[in-house]
Amino acid sequence: MSDTAVADRPVATEARGGGGRGLAVWLLVGGLLGFVAALVLAVEKYALLADPSYVPTCSLNPILSCGSIMASPQAEAFGFPNPLLGVAGFPVVATTGAVLLAGGRLAEWFWASLQAGVTAGVAFVHWLMFASLYRIEALCPYCMVVWAVTIPLFTAVTLRNLTAWAPRLPAGVNAAIALVRTRHSVLLTAWFLLIVAAITQRFWLYWSTLVG
Amino acid sequence: MSTNLKVSAALVAAFAAVVAAILILGQSDSGSSADGGAAGGAQVVREDSHRLGEPGAGDVTLVEFLDFECESCASVYPFVEQLREDYAGQVTFVARYMPMPGHPNAENAAVAVEAAAQQGEFEAMYQRMYETQEQWSHREESQAAVFRGFAADLGLDLASYDEDVADPATLERVLSDRDDGLALGVEGTPTFFLNGEKLEATTTDEFIERIEAALDE
Repeated sequence: MSDTAVADRPVATEARGGGGRGLAVWLLVGGLLGFVAALVLAVEKYALLADPSYVPTCSLNPILSCGSIMASPQAEAFGFPNPLLGVAGFPVVATTGAVLLAGGRLAEWFWASLQAGVTAGVAFVHWLMFASLYRIEALCPYCMVVWAVTIPLFTAVTLRNLTAWAPRLPAGVNAAIALVRTRHSVLLTAWFLLIVAAITQRFWLYWSTLVG
Repeated sequence: MSTNLKVSAALVAAFAAVVAAILILGQSDSGSSADGGAAGGAQVVREDSHRLGEPGAGDVTLVEFLDFECESCASVYPFVEQLREDYAGQVTFVARYMPMPGHPNAENAAVAVEAAAQQGEFEAMYQRMYETQEQWSHREESQAAVFRGFAADLGLDLASYDEDVADPATLERVLSDRDDGLALGVEGTPTFFLNGEKLEATTTDEFIERIEAALDE
């Protein structure tokens, strides 16, 4: 889990208010990864719109399933293709990382806005996961890249902000934050494992054919 | 190695161990289907497999592994019906259940068809499922009531239909077809077998050529 290790460091070395170098690198890398995945999804969406008549076989393989994710209503949660959200949002994250690396200092209102953004992002991504697993019953690899990037972006930004706001928070909360900060990669590992477990359980029949 | 890394690695290892254990237990549970292919455990056609219409005079058999909720099965259904008309008396048509996990009512539909089959109405129920697929497919709620309506329309004895639907043996019969399919390497629906060989054709013309070739042999 090298990316979680990257996400781990910023908070550990972070001076108050600034956001560590690790966080900056992670925002840049994660933002770019998310952007590329969202861009690929957006392009594929247009390819699908160009040929809606295509009927693939109903496959056991959840990654090549006929319950095509992009043709589902959940793929356009706000009336336009979801990937457009990522194409617009991830560059902001990446730019933030670049600005920090370039030595920029961001006002607290900017961090608060970023917090609102990543929180909305992580909530949306979990709704999409739920839809993917339990409604559409298919997986799409680029969507999973977006899931995988969004979660550590959320935790890294949240930990940074909670640390910066520490003086305004009760002592108990700060103790909890400190614990999470030292165990950031464990938290991420557990979070990812829960998702992997849900995927394993949901598509068990397919995985068992691969082994059998 | 940091504590975090150790704890994370332990979590991953524990997860992998649990999955492996379940996989291995599942394997020994259904051991016959796992290594069945060569040993004759899995068969393309069994005695109790459902024939569509009268068996053909020749020894050509076309088997379809199908899922009543699968759109692509519904889209080949008219083609299969056409084949049955064109090759009536020549080719034996067999349908086998392959309910897919992505389809919430695929198993319910197969159970309903199997219950109808127990009253000799396999074919009528099978046709009804594809003709009405759009009305009931891709809905989370159970469509068992809709299927019971079909049974009533077909004039089935509803008391014994209900009994058969509720009988776990009916679902087992459906899943035994699917187990054969899985052991034969069926990965999607529809999958066709012509005289025991998987038939993979990209066009209907190619499909027909393959049947013609089998008839000429």
